[in-house]
This record gives sequence, structure tokens and C-alpha cells, in this order.
Amino acid sequence: MSSRACIIVLLMVGAAAPVVAATPIFEIEIRDHLFHPEELVIPANTKVKLIVYNRDSTPEEFESYELNREKVIMGGRKANIFIGPLPPGVYPFFGEFNPKTAQGTVVAQ
Amino acid sequence: MMLVNSVVLILREVLEAAMLISVLLALSLNMRCRLAWFWWSLPVAIVGAVSYAVGLELVTDSLDGAGQEVANAALQILVYCFAVGIVWLCAHGDVTGSRAVKLTLLMAAAVACAMIREGSEILIYITGFAAVEELRTAVYAGSAIGAGIGLSLGVLLFSALRALEASMSKITALVLLGLIGAGMVMQSTMLLQQVDWLPMGASVWDSEALISEQSIGGELLYAVFGYESSPSFIQVLLYGVSLFLMVVTYTFSRRGEVAAGEI
Repeated sequence: MSSRACIIVLLMVGAAAPVVAATPIFEIEIRDHLFHPEELVIPANTKVKLIVYNRDSTPEEFESYELNREKVIMGGRKANIFIGPLPPGVYPFFGEFNPKTAQGTVVAQ
Repeated sequence: MMLVNSVVLILREVLEAAMLISVLLALSLNMRCRLAWFWWSLPVAIVGAVSYAVGLELVTDSLDGAGQEVANAALQILVYCFAVGIVWLCAHGDVTGSRAVKLTLLMAAAVACAMIREGSEILIYITGFAAVEELRTAVYAGSAIGAGIGLSLGVLLFSALRALEASMSKITALVLLGLIGAGMVMQSTMLLQQVDWLPMGASVWDSEALISEQSIGGELLYAVFGYESSPSFIQVLLYGVSLFLMVVTYTFSRRGEVAAGEI
């Protein structure tokens, strides 16, 4: 391997390292009072950051008893919510303002 | 469907504040203080709740997206601090003169802080959905019913506290105040974990199968004890510390009173 290739590899490792160490990010959208995706698979025993986008014009409250989370998200806005580290399992969440339709689950595996 | 949603949502928001207000009103009468403080706290709470609701987008995006949680946690921790002050003053024996003024100010401040967050959430919900023509009636009616049930439960607690013999009523009110305050600290812990300001850790236990947080009993326990069915270690720890500090405050205040009485 040439010295230039070595440097490139080192640079790539250097650039990748903080990304690996950083908290994984997952995104959820609220559209027409429904969560997309309705089932979100995340790694178990890892802290992750959820970014929830509310694409509706009405406000919504992201709520989960199992995850111990609640946050009001105004229409057209987004919210950051950290969850985990979670043991493997299924964790339901819902939109408190539209609890019959806005339902989803986080699957930690 | 919107009707039932509205009833449940508003009831949940109202219940916590209603429990706190009932305890403080009963305690206030018990300490022979006038209830005027409650009427001052209402406009403060309303102005606070409206401002908070209007500025929520700004608040949410501040502090790198942690603003909403930090603001809510701060309000809840303030309620706890005011509750500690109230316990200190009440445990000391009779309150008269400047002590009575301090007590009523603390009560008004606690109620205002407790109502700002819940009030703003109610406002956001009602204004958000009442804007939709076909939902308007259901949202208004459901909200009124939910608020009515919440207030009724508050009146029930108030009457129960007033029906007790004076010294018993006072100690019960102080214990409830301590529990509500510690519950608020526990909830604020959860909010700070939500934005990664506090570490999460694993759940200490899971009592969801025993008492679901979504059941009526669970909601009542939440309103009084800050009940969580699967709390983390830090939540439990801070709940315990908060309760312990309340007991210490009460004990030291009592001891000071006894010492002063001996002179």
C-alpha cells in the first residue's frame, strides 16, 4: 500500500470514528395524524436520538408510557427525543392529541 | 371519538394541578390564612400559560432542541422548592403577620408554576383542534367535561381534607404536598433524560402489569405520587432524596419551634 493510500485510509478511519461513537439518529414523520413509519426498529441497549417531524398543521404530543416520554410538537415543526438504552422488546408510543389513529411502536433488537 | 379524546386529555392535564390546588387551599384554611392568594395566582397562571403556548416553538428549538423539556423541568422543580418553603412555614406552628404573607406568596407561586405548563398544553390542544370546523364542538364539549371531572376530584379532595380534624388535616395536607412535590422532581428527571441532560440507565422495576399508567388508578397515582411504572434508577433516587429533604425540612422547622417555645 502506498503512503498516500495509507493516509487516505487513516483519514477515513479518523472521520468515521466520531460518527460511530455518536448517538444513532432515527426519524419519524407525522402525516394526517399517523406515524411514518409505524414500526421503528432500533438497536437494543443503545441510546438513540429520535427526530419527530410533524407534517400536519395541527399540534401533536408524542407520548409513550413504556418509554417514559412526552413532548408537544407544534404543527410543521420537529422535536428531538432521546430514548434508550433499551433492553430488547416492543415499546408502543402514540400521539396524545389523536390517540386512536396516531400509534406506533419502537422495536429494540 | 374526538369527544372522548378531549375528555381524557384535559382530565389528565387538570388533575395534577387540581390536586395541588386542593391541598394548598385546605392547608391555607387550616393555617387560618385567607384564600385571596388563589385569586392572584390565576391571572399570573393565565398570562404565563398563554405566553408559553405562543412562544412554545421558540422555546422548543432553544438550547439545541432541549428548551421545552428544560423549561418544563424548571417549572416543576420550582413547584418543589415552593412546596419545601410551605412545609417549613407550616410545620413551624402558627403563621401570622409577615410569615402569613410569605406563606400565601409561596402558595400562589406554586399554583401559578403548576398551571403554566398544563395550561399551555390545554391551550395548544384546544386552539389547534377547534380551528378544524368539524371537530370544534367535540373538542369544546370534551374539554369542558374533562375539566369538570378534574375539578370535581379536586373539590372532593379539598372536602375530605376539611372534614378531617384540624391537626390531622394539616399533617395529611403536608404529606400530600411532599408527595406531589417529589413526584414533580421525578417527572422533571424524566424530561431531562428525554433530552439527554441526565443519563437514562435501565428501569429499576416494571409494575405496568400491576398498575397500568393508563388506568384511572395509574393516572391518580401519577397526579399525587408522580407514578411511573418503569422508572430509572436516577428517577427513584431523586424522588427519594426529594421526599427525604421534605421530612428534614419539617423536622428542623418543628425543632426550631419547640426550642423557641422553651425560651
